[in-house]
Amino acid sequence: MNKTGLFEKMKMAVIEGDKHEAESLAQNAVESKMEMIEVIEKGFTPGIQKAGDLWESGEYFLPELISSAECMTSAMKILQPELIKAGVSAKTLGKVIIGTIEGDIHDIGKNLVASMLAANGFEITDLGADVKLEKFISKAQEINADYICLSSLLTTTMIGQKKIITMLKDKKLFGHIKVMVGGAPVNSQWAHDIGADGYAENAITAVTAAKKLL
Amino acid sequence: MNSDKIHKLEKFNINIEDRRIFIRLGYGSSSGNINDQAKEMVFKAKNKLSSLLQPNAVFKILDYEATNKHPIFKDAKKVALCICTIGIGLEEASSKLIEKNKILDGFILDTLGSEAAEDVARQTDKYIAEKAKEMGLWPSKRFSPGYSIWDIQEQAYLFKILPAEDIGVRLTDSFMMVPRKSVSFRINFYDDKNKTSRSFS
Repeated sequence: MNKTGLFEKMKMAVIEGDKHEAESLAQNAVESKMEMIEVIEKGFTPGIQKAGDLWESGEYFLPELISSAECMTSAMKILQPELIKAGVSAKTLGKVIIGTIEGDIHDIGKNLVASMLAANGFEITDLGADVKLEKFISKAQEINADYICLSSLLTTTMIGQKKIITMLKDKKLFGHIKVMVGGAPVNSQWAHDIGADGYAENAITAVTAAKKLL
Repeated sequence: MNSDKIHKLEKFNINIEDRRIFIRLGYGSSSGNINDQAKEMVFKAKNKLSSLLQPNAVFKILDYEATNKHPIFKDAKKVALCICTIGIGLEEASSKLIEKNKILDGFILDTLGSEAAEDVARQTDKYIAEKAKEMGLWPSKRFSPGYSIWDIQEQAYLFKILPAEDIGVRLTDSFMMVPRKSVSFRINFYDDKNKTSRSFS
């Protein structure tokens, strides 16, 4: 099969959420020494992009989109070590620190956002749940993050989102590091009021919102 | 009924409607949109659900005078305070799946867990409401700390009154319950049907 045909198969594996096929195609690409960057950019990435389009058009629902994200992640786990071996860096859309704010132990929504961002080319550092505000800042400085994504499921921890923005301003990091907020009680008005750079209602719109800030 | 008595419920027949799961998964109310893969995954997850659940509830019925007289209990003759849970097993299984990049499986399990916890709360609520009726009183709807004038910090009061540790539930410093799939609530018992918004069909 020619490269174009292979790329189409990779794209379709991701769109259809066929993890086994995605892994098999990625493995074959490694064994046949294909150009990894080309495999990612022309094969798998168009698949996750198309899945996002299908969600936006109402044809796909969250489970289909998560399946596509899983395929992308599985393929990347096979391809990434080859890139490193070859001394090539995969293009990343940005380094993201993500976590649920101190006092809040809910993490399923945050996990979905992290997986969707990872599948769409962002480099994720997931700090987990119940994360101290200072930890977001110190980790962001340590890895030179482009984004901090803050999840709050509670009105009592939403205020932490505002505090982090203040802390970033005090350290003159605000603007260099974009802050995105989300979570059940959070809305665009709150994001605007606290001066957040972005707001996402769900895991899928988080990708769009993050890309807008590029 | 003895106000000092702690009641424990541990026999629950968990019933989760598929429709509610698919709504939580984002499909809305139209089943025509649900793809076969998602249906199969939900079906499989439901089949192994019972081995992951440890449903338990603990409650106590207090005379109003024996409560902390929070305004949320106003006009009640008695107040039932309750904590219920499905245990930690499902949460751990869901987290493991997500760690293994089986995100959809983990998400579906988490969704089933939310519905299961809600069903345990629903069944316990029904049981307590029957107790109120046996006492010749009218039960209110159930109401959880963190809503309206009942501040989330009032969780500490429930955990002081109830032996939550007996059912494996603890409170964090920020008044969150661990396991997460736990529900705490109160039901006021009134002597006048007009004081409650609960429907008695």
